[in-house]
Amino acid sequence: MIKANGLTKRYGGRTRRPGRTGRTGTPVGTGKTVVDDLTFTVEPGAVTGFLGPNGAGKSTTMRMIMGLDAPTAGHVTVGDRAYAAHPAPLHEVGGLLEARAVHPGRTAHHHLMALAHTHGIPGSRVEHVLGLTGLTDVAGNRVKGFSLGMGQRLGIAAALLGDPATVILDEPVNGLDPEGVLWIRNLLKSLAAEGRTVFVSSHLMSETALTADRLIIIGRGRLLAETTVADFVRDSGVTAMKVVSPGARTLASLLAGPGVEIAPGAASDELDVRGVDGAYIGRIAAAHAVPLYELTPRTASLEQAFMDLTRDEVEYQAGTTHDAPTGAAA
Amino acid sequence: MSTTQTVPARVSPAPVHRLGVTPARVLRSEWHKFWTLRSTWVTLSGSSLLILATGLAVAISHEPAGAGPEEVGDPVVLTLLGIQFGQIILTVLGVLFTAGEYSTGMIRASLSAVPRRLPVLWAKAAVFAAVTLVTGLITTFATFLLAQPFLADTDMGASLADPGVAGAVAGTALSLTLLGVLGLGLGALLRSVPGAVGAFFAGVVIMPEVLSAVPSDAVKEAVSYFPARAAQSLGAVQHQAGSPSDPAALLTLCLWALAALGTAGWLLKRRDV
Ligand SMILES: Nc1ncnc2c1ncn2[C@@H]1O[C@H](COP(=O)(O)OP(=O)(O)OP(=O)(O)O)[C@@H](O)[C@H]1O
Ligand SMILES: [Mg+2]
Repeated sequence: MIKANGLTKRYGGRTRRPGRTGRTGTPVGTGKTVVDDLTFTVEPGAVTGFLGPNGAGKSTTMRMIMGLDAPTAGHVTVGDRAYAAHPAPLHEVGGLLEARAVHPGRTAHHHLMALAHTHGIPGSRVEHVLGLTGLTDVAGNRVKGFSLGMGQRLGIAAALLGDPATVILDEPVNGLDPEGVLWIRNLLKSLAAEGRTVFVSSHLMSETALTADRLIIIGRGRLLAETTVADFVRDSGVTAMKVVSPGARTLASLLAGPGVEIAPGAASDELDVRGVDGAYIGRIAAAHAVPLYELTPRTASLEQAFMDLTRDEVEYQAGTTHDAPTGAAA
Repeated sequence: MSTTQTVPARVSPAPVHRLGVTPARVLRSEWHKFWTLRSTWVTLSGSSLLILATGLAVAISHEPAGAGPEEVGDPVVLTLLGIQFGQIILTVLGVLFTAGEYSTGMIRASLSAVPRRLPVLWAKAAVFAAVTLVTGLITTFATFLLAQPFLADTDMGASLADPGVAGAVAGTALSLTLLGVLGLGLGALLRSVPGAVGAFFAGVVIMPEVLSAVPSDAVKEAVSYFPARAAQSLGAVQHQAGSPSDPAALLTLCLWALAALGTAGWLLKRRDV
């Protein structure tokens, strides 16, 4: 479980270090606020996607969770306390950060072994995570020669080293081949199924929607939405269904109604339907004996909804009840 | 990467024994890190060989009765003349041990594992100091013993049994270590390998030379307590007028090294990684 409360990071201005409690005073000085009063909870037993466009502050937030950057204001706990207060942090939290965190001159095995020694983790566990990430064959090679994807796998091996209750991964699919992407999806799901807290950042909604159960969306450092994938898809109201049917015109008239948008698709037997879900379309088609050749949600529209949400945060905030801006010069 | 199965194996097949971070474990980790880099072996053996080779070359080519171009009048200083180069190489090793973690990003992994941070710095200093002191002592004594036979009949002939000689040889190894720790502290402080090596050169090697040109006794007195000068008096048999006594020089060097480490530690707790 990760709990952020009023988490704020400002670069450039004067900052105040947290005390033993991990809480700081009010922000001081000027500078660029890259994480702005974030309050959210990441629950165990689920994959939580952390989304935002480039520069939204995702990596900065994750560094603050890992105790590497100090918040300018607010505090964040992981498990039951601040990261640095854990007597065995690798068993609590495993993190894959955005930038590589490994000496290229060391072999993969020695890199993991050096980290393992800090917690008295045995060599057998190092071998296990190397096997888990498919690095056994290259464990004796210096990291210098690793490809982007292999480096990413080593980062994931390091994150899993302590068998942690919470896993924080900053863009883990970055640089992975399709097989690796699939492997990550399954890994994240199985980690969550084991009851762990899984927090994964991405700037691709379509990729996140495939693995995540919950979503935390930020833009320019502010919380835009804390929701579930299902709710986001429903609330976004722009989920288009691609319908292919020989009776496309009949179906269009059957589906027509308030809140339903129907546009002709690329081919004459294709429709682009918004405002109703696949189950509804299928039932209507069945009830009127209209054959369906295809009924697919367009993931591109999910991406569109995410872009609409983050493109103009002020506009979004005006239209929702989420996180009313406090004292923002909107 | 054909070995990766798309369905992951169990992340925790057997219960992992949960032990906490202790100073001894951090020491073990830093010890492991130290020896698993090629640069460690290269710099350690390089500096030892250079000291040894220089000592032998100087001893073999020494002209009796001070006819040589160099004006070294101290048998230990003469045989350990290579310490000048060895020092630079060992300082680079110290800098690499700390600043190298920042340039590669390894520091993020290190401080994620040990978020209290300070034990990492202390462990690095301890591992570096222990290894450098042992190799330094072996190197300086071996060099002295191997070079002396060539100097037996000259004015530079000396034996470890002579008063002050063994102390000066050991003092050379000690100053080698302490100046290296100073470099390690600078590396942690400046977080940049070229920055810290440059700062060491400018502040430790060059500055005292520049300052000692100032025609003032007070400045000269102060300069003799600068790290490089204190190291010189610690490594000499003959006590130069106006330079600190051996215990004072040792204390001075320790304080310089501790000041660099302490400042680095103070900042390590306060800065973002
Ligand atoms: N150490 C720093 N000093 C100054 N500014 C910083 C620092 N680190 C990050 N920033 C700024 O903070 C903002 C947020 O950066 P961050 O890396 O957290 O974004 P992100 O959401 O992870 O983006 P991406 O999707 O590109 O990874 C950026 O504008 C960046 O320039
Ligand atoms: Mg990022």
